[in-house]
Amino acid sequence: MKAGSATVETQYPVNTKKSSATRCKVANQHGVSFVAQVMLIATKEFGDRFRSGWVIACVLVWLGAIGLTSFLGLLQIGQIATQGYERTVISLLNLVQYLVPLLGLLLGHDLIVSENEERTMRLVLAGGVSRTRFLIGKLLGGCLTLAVPLLLGFIIAGAVIGLAAKDAGIASFLRLAISGLILGMIFLGMGITISVLSRTRVQSLVAALLTWCFAVFVFDLIALSVFVSTKVPAAAQEIELVCDATHVNSSVDLHSDFDNVADVPARRATSSPTASLGWLAINPIDLFRAVNLSDRLEFRVPVSTTLFAVTLWFAGTLGLSLWKLRRTDL
Amino acid sequence: MSAYLEIINLTKRYGATCALDGVNLTIERGSTLALLGPNGAGKSTLFGCLLGLTAPTCGEILREGRLVANEDRNTFGYVAERVALYPQRTVDENAAYFARLKGLPVAEAARQLNRVGMHLVGGRKVRHLSKGMLQRLGLAIALCGQPELLVLDEPFNGLDPALFDALQSILSEESARGATLLVSTHTMSAVELLATHVAILLQGRLAAFRAVDDLRAEHGVNDSLETIYHQIARRGRTTGEVFA
Repeated sequence: MKAGSATVETQYPVNTKKSSATRCKVANQHGVSFVAQVMLIATKEFGDRFRSGWVIACVLVWLGAIGLTSFLGLLQIGQIATQGYERTVISLLNLVQYLVPLLGLLLGHDLIVSENEERTMRLVLAGGVSRTRFLIGKLLGGCLTLAVPLLLGFIIAGAVIGLAAKDAGIASFLRLAISGLILGMIFLGMGITISVLSRTRVQSLVAALLTWCFAVFVFDLIALSVFVSTKVPAAAQEIELVCDATHVNSSVDLHSDFDNVADVPARRATSSPTASLGWLAINPIDLFRAVNLSDRLEFRVPVSTTLFAVTLWFAGTLGLSLWKLRRTDL
Repeated sequence: MSAYLEIINLTKRYGATCALDGVNLTIERGSTLALLGPNGAGKSTLFGCLLGLTAPTCGEILREGRLVANEDRNTFGYVAERVALYPQRTVDENAAYFARLKGLPVAEAARQLNRVGMHLVGGRKVRHLSKGMLQRLGLAIALCGQPELLVLDEPFNGLDPALFDALQSILSEESARGATLLVSTHTMSAVELLATHVAILLQGRLAAFRAVDDLRAEHGVNDSLETIYHQIARRGRTTGEVFA
């Protein structure tokens, strides 16, 4: 072949001593099922987190937080007793809306990037595991890791509150637990997306913390300022009700509702329900608050809006992660 | 006989850098190809494309006439240049995990650990292994399921003489079994007796691809592989061109 040619193509004869394909026994010609590989990756992820103490630590933190909130929540009115479910839910709202997204993001942010940095992902993918299976397995493992401590915390604390406060009205507590779990999953999905998009663990951690700050603090301020500056009073009031209603907004001081029952109807009357709550779908934390405050504030987020928003967040984060991961050279 | 692997016009660009430039290779089943070249020549990129870790800019890789799919890679074994495993898990757990990902029983992982002499430290965490042990564990994982194709990226780097011998002997056994071997290495003496064919990559281009016997006939029967490689590499550097 002449010099300068960019390629060389030579088909060489087979070494007869070694060429017997029949001697090359291959144990696995047909691939492994989707479920088997995904479950294997998921259980390994959960096992690793369990061994590292992450799961146990989360259970303890969560139990402690719910327990302290429920058992010491009446101190502000000079009592030491166990709060009932409804009051515990109101007390827990802030805790859940701050802590659960943070847990989800902290868990998700290094699921992919750590395997990429450590180069273990190369060996997994080189063995015939598709990137889709790998991502879904990691996501499922992350969901298990998040769900186990959250559910354990809610179940144990819920049982203790029910027994100690002799409260049978568990519906609001169940709603808080389920919506809190979904909130955590959504932020886990965001964490995974950040993990896929990041090149290093540090970059991923910073992005996860910034996302948390934006979702918890910055979004509400921006939304309020936009609606107020565009002079949409009804919408502004709507946001004011939902955005941090338990602390900032004195007109919906929900704790006082329990302490001064006579004032409640008058206070509720000021919070006229408004028609459109579609904007809540933008921020899952606002949606979570709206869902859990719907009874107290006399407005309801339409179920269709909630389902649409949750589906959109799951599909969006998973789709973006898959799209990026498939295009990443390792 | 039809080719086992066909690499057709494989090109990979990272921005302005061309890591692989129109590489064509045809590899028969059961052969052992030594892939030689300096650092940055594109050897690992070529392996990455074959293993689905890197998407080629253009070109394709066929296995027995069909595009290589993920399912095909179940029948590949891969030893990375830097073996990376889960440090907080034990030797046994790592081997079992990767075997099960390929749909193989845990007993197969145990058998391969036994073969490379790692069964005695099965309960040791990977983070406590020496480089040689890690290399052996990586090899055991790659050997699980008796792969059709073994891809080894610089497997002889940093091995002591005993391990070096052990690795050579295992690769000979695999070759005798009928497995196809792709070995990239700077330690040419290690593949001198094993290789049936040699491919030399220079700056992403294939500078030579021959059966070892043909290469010797061309460049000198008594010359070592290393001498022949240096002749070709020097000529490539001087002319700035690639040739076959």
